[in-house]
Amino acid sequence: MTRRGWLLLAAWCALLGVGVAWVQARLHVSADLRLFMPRPRGEQQRLLVQNIGESPASRLLLVTLEGDAPPVLAGISNRLASALAARSEFGFVANGAQAPLAIPENLLPYRYLLTDSFDRHSLDASTLEAALADRAADMASPAAAVLEEWLPRDPTLEVLHLVDRWQPRTEPRRIDDAWFTADGRRALLLVETRAAAFDPDGQTTALDALRAEFARARGASSARLEASGSGYFSSIIKQRTQAEAGWFGGIATAGMILLLWYAYRNFSFTLLGALPLASGALAGLAAVSVLFDSVHGITLAFGFTLIGVAQDYPMHLFSHLRRGETAIETARRVWPPLATGVASTCVAYLAFLISGVTGLAQLACLTVSGLVVAGLTTRFVLPRLTPAAAHDPADSALLARVNQRLGRLPRPYILLLLVPVSAALVFWLRPAGFWQNDLSRLTPVPPELLRKDLALRRELATPDLRYLLVASGADGQEVLARLESLDDALSQAVHRGAIGSYDHAARYLPSAARQRARQAKLPDPTELRRLLHEAAAQSPFDERLFEPFVADIARARELPPLTRADLPATPLSLRIDSSLFAREGRWYGLVSLFEVHDPAAMAALGQATAPFVTFLDLKDASEQLVAAHRSHVLLCLDISAILLVAVIWIALRRVSRVLRVLAPMVLTTLISVAVLRACGVSLNLFHLISLVLAAGLGLDYALFFEHAADDDAEQQRTLHALLVCALSTLLVFALLAFSTVPVLAAIGVTVSLGVVSNFVLALLLARGRSA
Amino acid sequence: MLLAGATASSRTLDEFERDLRRTPPVTTGFVDYRFSHLLRKPLQASGTLEYRADGVLARNVAAPYHELTEVLGDEVRIQREGKPARTMSLQRAPQLRVLLGSFRALLEGRFAPLSRDFDVSLAEGAAHWTLTLIPRDPHMARALARIQVSGTADRPECIVALEPDGDAAFTLLETPAPGTTIPTRAALEQRCRLDATATRAATPES
Repeated sequence: MTRRGWLLLAAWCALLGVGVAWVQARLHVSADLRLFMPRPRGEQQRLLVQNIGESPASRLLLVTLEGDAPPVLAGISNRLASALAARSEFGFVANGAQAPLAIPENLLPYRYLLTDSFDRHSLDASTLEAALADRAADMASPAAAVLEEWLPRDPTLEVLHLVDRWQPRTEPRRIDDAWFTADGRRALLLVETRAAAFDPDGQTTALDALRAEFARARGASSARLEASGSGYFSSIIKQRTQAEAGWFGGIATAGMILLLWYAYRNFSFTLLGALPLASGALAGLAAVSVLFDSVHGITLAFGFTLIGVAQDYPMHLFSHLRRGETAIETARRVWPPLATGVASTCVAYLAFLISGVTGLAQLACLTVSGLVVAGLTTRFVLPRLTPAAAHDPADSALLARVNQRLGRLPRPYILLLLVPVSAALVFWLRPAGFWQNDLSRLTPVPPELLRKDLALRRELATPDLRYLLVASGADGQEVLARLESLDDALSQAVHRGAIGSYDHAARYLPSAARQRARQAKLPDPTELRRLLHEAAAQSPFDERLFEPFVADIARARELPPLTRADLPATPLSLRIDSSLFAREGRWYGLVSLFEVHDPAAMAALGQATAPFVTFLDLKDASEQLVAAHRSHVLLCLDISAILLVAVIWIALRRVSRVLRVLAPMVLTTLISVAVLRACGVSLNLFHLISLVLAAGLGLDYALFFEHAADDDAEQQRTLHALLVCALSTLLVFALLAFSTVPVLAAIGVTVSLGVVSNFVLALLLARGRSA
Repeated sequence: MLLAGATASSRTLDEFERDLRRTPPVTTGFVDYRFSHLLRKPLQASGTLEYRADGVLARNVAAPYHELTEVLGDEVRIQREGKPARTMSLQRAPQLRVLLGSFRALLEGRFAPLSRDFDVSLAEGAAHWTLTLIPRDPHMARALARIQVSGTADRPECIVALEPDGDAAFTLLETPAPGTTIPTRAALEQRCRLDATATRAATPES
């Protein structure tokens, strides 16, 4: 390489370094799925996209402790629960331990505003008389010692009633104040993470905090901790994806180095070959970070997959080098097919830019700028760095033989008919399940983990993950009132067996209106004393005993209604906060449903109370959203295809050439889809993106084979270039096909299939006949 | 842990426990008398106490009203005449759990659970014995000064729960005789051989 060449390389690397630093400082990667979702249609999708459907149930981590004696585990469970409750990563933490009283002393008089005891029968002489008869019976029972303390202040036992009402309906078994599985071997905890379930990084942080606190709480015990739940799954899947991607990446890199060394016998080619892709990727990132505030992780993953086409660009230059010609001249020679490939692919991606979905626009921006820069680097920078050709593929006797044999092969034009007919046959025979809409299938959890999760959820009686009622309103009070208005219908549903039970914020914190209504019904002290006189006559109690009760009722009559702000940080307020909150200026209250046996009844309830209450079927809504997203992508792809054909047409100008270039790509796409469908695979977005990548590769192959026309030497060089391209791509994606992470495997299988098919078809259909 | 009684004990606590041991089901009649400063007059309730083979402790009140209380593990289910059954968790009433636990232990004659929550001491005379349980947990001690069980041979006859404020509950393990009037507290104390000094110690203000 010349001195100028070295200087240019140094300058280019320095530029890349600055670029990396700049992008690192500026690029904000977000886990917000909204970036990747089309504009939601309907209330269900809107709630889902606003993360409001991100129900408290989905943020629950189910934690088990095992491996020691139950009392030891109970002790660890209690220490762990209080440590977790103090950390910012977690909201509500429950392990079965409970304070004797859930209501702080200064809030005790509020019990008469919070209780529903006197809603139907007001606090009159007969109510009091019945209560006193009950207390007399209590006094004759062993419970007397415990009740005596409360009797003068709370003869109707409202505190007990409220605590009972706030308890979960079914509770796991308890040992030493801690929840246990029915067999008593594992302690159970419920931990609500602040991070959303689909935010793997937030979940990983929370899980690390959980393990750190467990290590402290465990002490010298041999106890082990296990976690389960949606958030845990998203964390392990991300870790596994990263681990496998890193592992495959390492093998692929080693393989690429070997392959390139074998092909060019010059190590500097291997290094230089990385330059266009690196420059393109960096340019893509820079463009996205300039134009957008934040990029979704999926956009980056898809974008880098699509930019992968650029890894082929330097191969075209290297394989076409010949003695007696400078690399700059070679670059000029390979530029027409290369430029056609870059231009047509980029123009096609422009369709995504106008799709209206931020994530897709980002994808287009990343890919287009990446490919353009990679192409320009190959054309204008790389030739000035490339050393003179060590050998010309056209000199290879082996390649010459192979090329001649290939040239004699028949041109299978029958495939133009055969492939579409067979594909149609496959689609016709297997009509069901063409598309995969189930989001959870994209990141599937190992079945044994799911079974464990289900068993734990049953033991802990957690709310349903799929169904939810959402009430909304202008402010918190309006939402609370709406939740209260649902109570009748909901308790009927419980009664009929449509649901097991339900829970919402107004069960803990009634609306101010309801509290005022209860206040208005409370008797004044004079009246209450008269009632007590009447009620106590037949009881063993002296009416004067109940002066503390009279005082509490008198205070309850004067209190301003209890609001969320009055509640200190207690398990109670945490429970309210996770189901009553504001988003973008509107207030939402979630109704958690337990054991949903009849979703249709709940849907009908939502319909009857629309638009203030929405029944949310998270699975259904997310599937609809995925389907909507996909139809968006498909529409973009249709426009892309038209644009692509137009660009090819402009570049090649002859129908026969255009058809020869397009045929391999079109047939390959049909073959790939047909093979996947024949194997019973339902297609998802990752398959689509992979098909697009394969099509891009196929277009390049065909352009180059077609460009080589009928010059033997040039055909040999093209064959060499495309063999290197196809083998290197195949190496990377065939490895991915073996991944245990379904998303990676889907990409791997689809692209590998596409590369082989495109290569063979381009070779047979696009290439001119050998002379 | 075990204090020797004032009177020379002829049996160790282990031997005593062995003599008292019953295999469930165990059923006995009972009469409860409750003296409380909250009450204008003492309360009386009578019926049967049952420790069933399935581990349920049942207190079946027959007079002056009908009530069935069943305790299984930490769950208490109370069924009163003409009312829906109430269930509550003893987790929220640790004192009650300990108290009911001691009833169960006595009926079954198994003291291991007792000595976890109480300091247990046995005093034996020629014909009678007295078992004294003093709660270890200071929180518990605020509601319960001590439990004193008295009996003859292998039969407990009387359980007295004394509270620090002087209130007391007497449980006579006998078949209730119909139509009896409530005896005076002094008569019950004598009947249950309640140590007078202990009573005074437990009721400093009286």
